[in-house]
Amino acid sequence: MFCLGLLDVKNISYSIGPVHVIEDITFTAMKNEFVSIIGPSGCGKSTLLRIIAGLIKPLHGEVLYNGMRVEKPNKDISFVFQDFALLPWLTNIENVKLGLSLFDISDEEKERRAKLLFKKIGLEGFEKAYPNMLSGGMKQRVGLARAIISNPKVLLMDEPFSSLDELTAEALRTDVINMLRSPDMPVSLVIMVTHNVEEAVELSNKVVILSERPSHVKEIKRIGLKYPRNKRSKDFMKEVDHIYKVLTE
Amino acid sequence: MFNYILQLLVDTSFSWARMFIALGLSILLGLGIGIWAATSRRAEKVIIPIVDILQTLPILAFFPFVIYIIVATIPGYIGINAAVIFLIITSMLWNIIFGVYESVKELPHEFIELTAIYGMGIKEKLSKIYIPASMPKVMSQSTLSWAIGLFYLVTSEIFSTSSKTYMVKHGIGVALTQLALSGNFSEYLVGILIFIIFVILTRLLFFAPLERYFNKHNMSSIQKTHTTHFVHLIKSRLKLKVPKIKIPIKFALGKKHDTYSLSNEVVMRPKKRGYANLVYALLAILFVAIIVSNKTLFSYELSILVSFIASFARVWFAFAIILLISVPLSVYLIFFSKKLSAYILLFQIIASIPATIMLPLIVSFFVKMPFHSEAVALSVYLLSGIWYVIFSMLSQKAYIPQSIYEVKRLFGIKGLQAWKKIYIYAILPGLITGAVTGIAAEWNASIVAEYFTSTGIGNGAVLTSVSIGIGKLLDLSLDNGNMVLMLLALLNFTIMIVIINRLVWKRLFNRIEDIYK
Repeated sequence: MFCLGLLDVKNISYSIGPVHVIEDITFTAMKNEFVSIIGPSGCGKSTLLRIIAGLIKPLHGEVLYNGMRVEKPNKDISFVFQDFALLPWLTNIENVKLGLSLFDISDEEKERRAKLLFKKIGLEGFEKAYPNMLSGGMKQRVGLARAIISNPKVLLMDEPFSSLDELTAEALRTDVINMLRSPDMPVSLVIMVTHNVEEAVELSNKVVILSERPSHVKEIKRIGLKYPRNKRSKDFMKEVDHIYKVLTE
Repeated sequence: MFNYILQLLVDTSFSWARMFIALGLSILLGLGIGIWAATSRRAEKVIIPIVDILQTLPILAFFPFVIYIIVATIPGYIGINAAVIFLIITSMLWNIIFGVYESVKELPHEFIELTAIYGMGIKEKLSKIYIPASMPKVMSQSTLSWAIGLFYLVTSEIFSTSSKTYMVKHGIGVALTQLALSGNFSEYLVGILIFIIFVILTRLLFFAPLERYFNKHNMSSIQKTHTTHFVHLIKSRLKLKVPKIKIPIKFALGKKHDTYSLSNEVVMRPKKRGYANLVYALLAILFVAIIVSNKTLFSYELSILVSFIASFARVWFAFAIILLISVPLSVYLIFFSKKLSAYILLFQIIASIPATIMLPLIVSFFVKMPFHSEAVALSVYLLSGIWYVIFSMLSQKAYIPQSIYEVKRLFGIKGLQAWKKIYIYAILPGLITGAVTGIAAEWNASIVAEYFTSTGIGNGAVLTSVSIGIGKLLDLSLDNGNMVLMLLALLNFTIMIVIINRLVWKRLFNRIEDIYK
């Protein structure tokens, strides 16, 4: 079968009991893209992301990764949670090492890689602390480290900044974009769910705009602005305004 | 044929009527006492430790005995029925009190502020806030109370002292004991069958609709569903048991901040602590002095201690078996099964079939084997404790966020690693709470497990008896009306409960609070 992108979402539908949540959603994500999925709350964005991750089976349709059907979680696809989902009873470094559970690697090697990552995400010294001793922003950094330690090709992020206060979120967004654009980064595709329009415009080069429930794709908007993006520039505002208009019409 | 079935139906109905009256009164008392303890600091300090001890004592062996004699001497069947209902209440009440207490304690502070802002009177506070907030837990605890009540129904309906046997006119407890004793096996089995049908019908027609009704407001919207909160609550309960004294505990794996927080407490009240320790030491010396100075007391104390050691071994051995069964079962149901609620319903029904009515069956099953009295005792201990542990662990499911399941699947955490990193920790708070209540229930059952007669406890024909044990000792002292021995055993029991709480449970809770905070 011929397919275009690194990840193809094809005609996905999903319902919970009698409630239609997702109706026939299709889009393609290419290599080196940052795709945002945006839509009103309750429209099934997070469900869609879980279907892409292979955590939930869709009612109809399929997700293709490199042309192969995704039916269960996959070593190449990783996930960052809105509520961080760190195990409170494991130290931060143990939490990060969980990201390598599927890999046949010695514990020393896992430890070594995790320590390197702690340095990279700016949390050196917090390896042996427990998650609940960290602030929200630091927790999400640990969550991010757990997601990328296995060198995934695709990174899925479910509202990764929405549990943080605005200042922390802004700082983390900048760090994330720098990290993802660094040359040694294995991640070649990010798909992020958000309800924050500015965040979507700041980070992504493709925005999938969803309607209210049952959600379908209203528009797929390309954003060609150069990184790092100036949130006060006219072009930036234009993109934001356009997405707001599509969302509310 | 038809006649005796009808007779059994009538007997069961009478027993059920007693159970419902006892449950109703227990709920009323539980609401009153629980809300009182949760809203008044002073009441809390007295009520909670007492209730905790009463929950563990085999209460049937102590003061109900006295009350039974008093009430049952009221002429006619009023006195004896009142006594039976009273006895059932003594087995149903305690966990309901804790359920209410925890519900009110869990209420967000905003709710209490709300009552102040709108100047609510006591009546409004009760009817609008405290009682509705408690009802979901009252219902779930009632299910448990019902099961415990049925366990003791059999031993309450028929009761004998050295001089006289008291029994109700109609009661399934009496009927089953007599059928089993007369060797009327087929009728006994029919009786059990009717009993089980009543249990199922009660579950489906009474408890299920009520639980649905009281849960419709979905308390989860206001209750924090974090394990941390849960652990904290349980620990605060344990902490209250022996108020005011704190022995600095050094953990084998203690970290720096442990000693910091402990030393903080010590610094804050060094004088009080020293004072309390002095009082305890003096009391202990006084106790020992009295025991040693009196030959009879000394011999009593010796036999009590030896009996305790024997029962202790049984209770904890049974608990080890409980763990071996319940931990894998709970992990399977929480992490793998999609039919958890169906299993819970099934377990609730099975848990309501009391070991006491099965005892004649259990005895006849083991009777030919060596050590059969030990096997019977272990079975009764096991059956009386296991459901607390299982239900408590299964209730942990509500505290496990969905994302943990997703993390497990996403990162492919399986097998031994999943046990070490997820399962054990996820169920641990429930395991420890279940252990506290389950072992309490085991001790509670000691008077039935170790010595069972045709009149339940009391001096009927002995059906099963271990060679030595605290349950047996209590039963025998009950037979002979030896109040001194009984009270001394009660004192020993209380001391043991306090020591175990301090040495085992409190330490464990300190440890896990550290992990979950």
